[in-house]
Amino acid sequence: MNRHDLIVIGAGPSGLSAAIEAAHAGMDVVVFDENARPGGQLFKQIHKFFGSKEHHAKVRGFRIGDELLKEADAAGVRVELDSSVLGLYPDREVVVRHGDEVFHAKGDAVLVATGASENTLGFPGWTLPGVIGAGAAQTMMNLHGVRPGDRVLMLGSGNVGLVVGFQLLQAGCEVVGVVDAAPRVGGYGVHAAKLARCGVPFHLSHTIVSAEGTDHVTGVTIGEVDKSWQIVPGTEKHFDVDTICVAVGLSPMSQLLDMAGCDMVDDPRRGGLVPVCDESGATSVAGIFASGDVSGIEEASSAMIEGRISGAAIADYLGYLEHEGETRRVGELEGSLDALRQGMFAPKNRGTVPERTEEGCPVSMNLLEHGFLSDDEVLAYPGVTHAKGVHAVIECSQNIPCNPCQDACRKGCISIGENITSLPVVVGDAACVACGMCVASCPGQAIFLVDEGAGDGFATVTLPYEFLPVPTAGTRGRGLSRSGEEICDAVVESVRCVSAFDHTNLLTMRVPEDCAMRARFFRPSPADADEEAVS
Amino acid sequence: MSDEAVRMTTNGASRSFSPAPLDRSRGLGDFVPAPDDDVLVCRCEEVTKGDIRRAVHDGMYTMTEVRRYLRVGMGLCQGQSCTKLVRRIMAAELGVSPAALDAETSRAPMRPVEMRVLGNEEAAGGADAR
Repeated sequence: MNRHDLIVIGAGPSGLSAAIEAAHAGMDVVVFDENARPGGQLFKQIHKFFGSKEHHAKVRGFRIGDELLKEADAAGVRVELDSSVLGLYPDREVVVRHGDEVFHAKGDAVLVATGASENTLGFPGWTLPGVIGAGAAQTMMNLHGVRPGDRVLMLGSGNVGLVVGFQLLQAGCEVVGVVDAAPRVGGYGVHAAKLARCGVPFHLSHTIVSAEGTDHVTGVTIGEVDKSWQIVPGTEKHFDVDTICVAVGLSPMSQLLDMAGCDMVDDPRRGGLVPVCDESGATSVAGIFASGDVSGIEEASSAMIEGRISGAAIADYLGYLEHEGETRRVGELEGSLDALRQGMFAPKNRGTVPERTEEGCPVSMNLLEHGFLSDDEVLAYPGVTHAKGVHAVIECSQNIPCNPCQDACRKGCISIGENITSLPVVVGDAACVACGMCVASCPGQAIFLVDEGAGDGFATVTLPYEFLPVPTAGTRGRGLSRSGEEICDAVVESVRCVSAFDHTNLLTMRVPEDCAMRARFFRPSPADADEEAVS
Repeated sequence: MSDEAVRMTTNGASRSFSPAPLDRSRGLGDFVPAPDDDVLVCRCEEVTKGDIRRAVHDGMYTMTEVRRYLRVGMGLCQGQSCTKLVRRIMAAELGVSPAALDAETSRAPMRPVEMRVLGNEEAAGGADAR
């Protein structure tokens, strides 16, 4: 049997971050992961992350994964892949399966960073081929380049459902709707708004009655639910679909910790059975730590910081760090973690719906119930102003921990201030040069450049466009409203993409003047789209 | 977690305590068939919602009992997919909150392993590669 200073179970964002931190302190670290590739869920994440610079905001998830792997390699972390940990026994002994044999290893400390698995929902027909988890859809699309289906219904309006729903559109699927039994959209409003303006309808207070088909999904029926979650007869709606994506939450894979005898608690707010642990991830069993989703469902950015904190705490626990150094390091990290846990969607605020933002703006009920801001509501936010010439319009209406737009503008047009969850304010006397950096930097794709009076009764709207094929200047089509309704003719004036935009194209379309503050998406007309596809 | 919520397990470590046992003397009424009784819940062991509901009426009042009775959650995925569903179905049938049911036992192996692999334990001392 081999012994190590630290055994990490799980090479996802949290496990790798902890391993890096511990290796920097001079520890011998091994990471076991049952998958063939390291990185956990990071490599499926093609969207730009939220947060601030220190949280890798506006960087796409898979790039963060690449950086993490490079850092682990440089730190001398050994990652053993295709290695499933079968059990965690007394005195921090693990049994690992690799290939056709099992072996034992012992760590002076063990960090369990096994993450979570997707929840299921047992509606009639849920075992038909074509009913898949949202994570599975991401794996197919983003790792293997396989489109999961042609017509998809998304069940679940949390961030996973919204983000994957948008990625399904990007992969060329038709998303017939987002369904959630809850009466409000669960994820970030900006994620919902991206789907809504592409024409995806939201069916809140609805759930799946049944999936139809004999050997695969051919359709789905949804129905409205009452306050006791029962389907109201007569409210059923049918859709022809070949795929049903299920995004109804995650469960921590905490069995190893339970088996090891750690104090556990069933906490629905954290996703289910989780270990009782302190801020550093130390469990009730000496030398066993937990970090990331296994200790409570959050997201990758906080999982990475939690991992760093655990790594530093373990190095301190085993005497590899001067205690003062550890305290300082953990203090910095905790501040960074705390910043991510602020705002309307903070773990502590789960299940509550505030009526007003921190600034006192009314929270849009339309956004929560239908996925988009109404034309009137949008004017209530400090990022939305009228001005002469090209100016940024920031349709950011919820207090979420995110601030890349503030640094993106070199002209000082955008201000968020010290508090990372504050709504961005468009500064009146600063001059926008239409560089578009703010548009490309917004992970929520909620920033537009608008010229309300571009001449001849027309206006221009510049929007973030992440679809293929990319239209070219002169392409004709329709301008879509925030709800995805075709409201006007539109012509593409220009499409810009520089490396700093990281594949977010900035599409500028020309629309009638009265649509300047209403048109927020461009749909090429079928004829022009065909030409694009041929060329 | 309160002190009384912590108990000692056989290996001497403390872990979360399962809630107080349910009163087995109270009646649940007759088993009423439901239209979705044939929906599979545990696909690994092919157990339906109706199987689980009937098991409750047969006297299985805990997660441990229903697992032993039906093998629900004891297949390839080891309950990772269905445990929450089983818990919810049982709780509804018993008229209690899901949290009132006992925690299921976590034990090795955490992943399915063929017996030939489980028996192929590397000799003491270990491969040099590790």
